[in-house]
Amino acid sequence: MITATFVLILSMALFFFYIQVTCQKILRRQFDREYFQSIVTANRLEFPSLRKSLEEFSVPVDYFRLRMMLKCDFLALTYLLKNSANVKQRYSNEERLLILYCRWQFLSLAARHLLKLGEEPATLRLASVLQYFANVVGQRVNAVQFGNWTATDYLFYL
Amino acid sequence: MESNLLHYVWQDSGILIEASLVFYLAWTSQWKGQGAVDFYLSSLVVGQLTRACFLHEYGWTSLRYYYAYWSTDFLLVLSAFGVVCLFFRRACLHEEKMWRLIRIFLVLLLVLVAAISGVSLSLNRHDFFTYFVVVFNQKLYFACLVLNTLLYLMLHRMNSADDQLELLVCGVGIQFAGPAATLALVYLTYGGRFAKLLAYQTIPLCTFGMLLVWAYVIVYVPRTAGGLTRRDVLLPAVPAQESKL
Repeated sequence: MITATFVLILSMALFFFYIQVTCQKILRRQFDREYFQSIVTANRLEFPSLRKSLEEFSVPVDYFRLRMMLKCDFLALTYLLKNSANVKQRYSNEERLLILYCRWQFLSLAARHLLKLGEEPATLRLASVLQYFANVVGQRVNAVQFGNWTATDYLFYL
Repeated sequence: MESNLLHYVWQDSGILIEASLVFYLAWTSQWKGQGAVDFYLSSLVVGQLTRACFLHEYGWTSLRYYYAYWSTDFLLVLSAFGVVCLFFRRACLHEEKMWRLIRIFLVLLLVLVAAISGVSLSLNRHDFFTYFVVVFNQKLYFACLVLNTLLYLMLHRMNSADDQLELLVCGVGIQFAGPAATLALVYLTYGGRFAKLLAYQTIPLCTFGMLLVWAYVIVYVPRTAGGLTRRDVLLPAVPAQESKL
C-alpha cells in the first residue's frame, strides 16, 4: 500500500513536470526577430509592461487587475492566432497544447493567490506563453503582404 | 460500451500516428539519426497491430487476447528499456568513460528486476504470465520512468545542447508517468470502476501525447550538429590589435 501510494505521488508529479518542461521547451523556440512588439502595440496588450514591472521593479500588482489584464491579452491573442493571416482558421497542435498550458497556469495563479504563495512565477510563465503567441501571430502577419499596410495597420482594421 | 469505443478510437489513432511517423521518417530519410525513435515506433506499431488483430479475432474476454496482450506488453516494456538505454548512449556520445559506468548500471538494473520477478515466479510456478511477466513488466516500467528522469537530470546537469534529445526524453516521460500513476491508483482502489475507466483512457492518451511531442521534435526541432555535447560558452572576440600580441 505504501509503495503504491509512493508510486502514485511520484508518477503524478513527474507527469505534470514533463508536461510543464515540454511546454517550456516549445516556448524557447527562437524567432528571427521580435515580432511580438508590433502585435503588442496594435492591440495595446499589457503583458510586456506587467512582466517588466515584476522582473525589474518587483512592484506588487493587485491580483484581480493582474488576472483581468492577462485574461484579456490571452483572449485577444488566441482570437488572433485563429483568425489573423491563418488560412486554415484553426489552431495547430502545438498551439492547442500551449492554450491548455495557459489555462493550467491561470488555475495555478488562482491557487497561489488563495494559498498566499505569491503570484509572480505563474504570472511570468503566463507572460512568456503570451509573448510566444504574439510572436507567432506577428510572424504570420509579416509573411503575408497587404499592399502598403504594415502589420500594425492590418491588425488595426481586423 | 462508450468506454470501449473510446478505447478503440485511441488505439486506432495511435496506430495511425505511429505508422505516419514511421512513414515520415522513411520518406524524409531521417532514419539514420533517430535509431531510438525508429526502434520504439516500430515496436509500438507491431505491438498495437498484434493486439488489434487478436482483439478483433477473439474479443476482450478471451484467454488468447490475454496472452497476446501481456506478451506484446513484455516486448514493449523491453523496447522502452532499450529506448532509454539508446537515449543514454546518445547523451554520452562523447563521454565514453561515463557511458561504460552507465552501461554496467543499466545491465545490473535489468538483472535485478528480472531476479525480483523471478522470486514471485518461484513462489507460484503454475502461472508464468501472472507471476512473472506481469510483475516484471510493472517493475521494469517504473524503473524506466526513474531512469528517464535521471537521464533528464543528467542532460540538465551536462547543460546539453541537444534540444531534440531533451524533448524526446520529455515525450517518453509523459508516456511512462501517466500510466504508472493510473495503474497505482487502480491498485490502491482495489480495481475500482472509476480508476479502471481512467486507466483505460489515460494509457492510450499518454502514448498519444508522447507521439505528438515526438512528431513536433522530428518535424520542427533541428538535430544538433555532431560533436557538440554541451552548450559551449561563447568567448568574447579578441580585438585584432590584441590578437597580434
